[in-house]
Amino acid sequence: MRNGLKTIALGLALIAPVSFAGSGTTAEHIEAATAAYKKLAKESSYQWTTTVKAIKAAKKALEAGDDKGARKLAHQAMDLVEATRLQAKIESETWRMRVPK
Amino acid sequence: MKKVISSALVGTLSLGIAFGVSAGPVEDQAAFQKYYENKFPDTPTADFANGVYSILPTAREQWEAIEEFPPYEIAIEAGEAFYNKTFANGKSLADCFGPDGAVRNQYPKWDSDRGMVVTMELAINECLTANGEKPLKYKKGKITEVTAYMSFNSRGQEVDVKIPSDDPRALAAYENGKEHFYTKRGQLNFACADCHMLTAGNLYRADTTSPGFGHGTHWPVYRSKWQSMGTLHRRFGGCHKNIRANPYKAQGEEYRNLEYFVTYMSNGLTFNGPGARK
Ligand code: HEC
Repeated sequence: MRNGLKTIALGLALIAPVSFAGSGTTAEHIEAATAAYKKLAKESSYQWTTTVKAIKAAKKALEAGDDKGARKLAHQAMDLVEATRLQAKIESETWRMRVPK
Repeated sequence: MKKVISSALVGTLSLGIAFGVSAGPVEDQAAFQKYYENKFPDTPTADFANGVYSILPTAREQWEAIEEFPPYEIAIEAGEAFYNKTFANGKSLADCFGPDGAVRNQYPKWDSDRGMVVTMELAINECLTANGEKPLKYKKGKITEVTAYMSFNSRGQEVDVKIPSDDPRALAAYENGKEHFYTKRGQLNFACADCHMLTAGNLYRADTTSPGFGHGTHWPVYRSKWQSMGTLHRRFGGCHKNIRANPYKAQGEEYRNLEYFVTYMSNGLTFNGPGARK
């Protein structure tokens, strides 16, 4: 089961575009992921726990001086936001199929 | 489990072909209830109020034994004491909800003055704060004692949620709850309907999922896993966390609208709270 679910999640994550390039400080990248997460939650009410976890982990890594690790986590969080956005879009277009008639 | 998921996906696809565009609440409700009646032909309709035990004879015996010495009994007693306690201003909850608080069938209800769904928990807190008392937390603790007492005194009332047709905002709140029930959420990409409709009765980790028909009847619940009582919105939050979706705020608009939809779908069943679950 785990694997099946991971595949779905990975599928979503892979479709997500690479959100931003390498410029800016890591703190700014974390900031950007946080802002994107909040914006989407407000617009669509879709929000994943894993995004929050990635953001928290990024902050922690940065505080611990692991800039590279923190940056990677910030990008991961941004990818998760993009995957969430995609889910919200697909669902808003297709959910009515599931309603019995 | 992989099999469960792929059959869920196939199910989704075939449903997509079979079902067309949307309908109003009355048609929704009839189709919803019929779906479960067809899926579980051995379950008498009224029995869907008993959650997963309505479809799981093996667990039912154990549950019936638990119900003989119900773990929520202490909560009912504590709730009764709190219900009758006089506030600093000399009033009590009885001034808001009558001598025995048997008002379960009035909630969730549409409040057209404020344009929002009001649940029983929300109404209790509004009664408290209007009388200068502190509001209660919404997921567990005192609130579940008060609602256990009120629900117990309301046992046997019919679920009869109303969506007033003269207020389009009520329909919008209902539609919002409905959309929530059928949309996939969380990183694991599950809809409530995936587990509690399409694959209701299947095993997820160690638990068989209950039919969505009956979800609103029996709250609050003493849950063995929690080792305590919890509200419906606590349970919503738990199901969201399981699929890696951030839970929404208990008694926030999202969950109140979801409760409005879910309970409306169970119209015609009987309120039977408080309940006991695994
Ligand atoms: C991954 C599968 C899954 C998803 C998705 C899911 N649930 Fe659940 N849910 C469960 C399991 C397992 C239980 C515990 C067994 C049961 O159904 O009573 C449960 C229990 C419940 C209960 C308590 C039933 C009772 O009789 O006390 C409610 C209410 C509920 N879920 C509502 C929801 C709602 C609303 C959603 C969507 C926001 C949802 N669930 C999404 C698996 C799921």
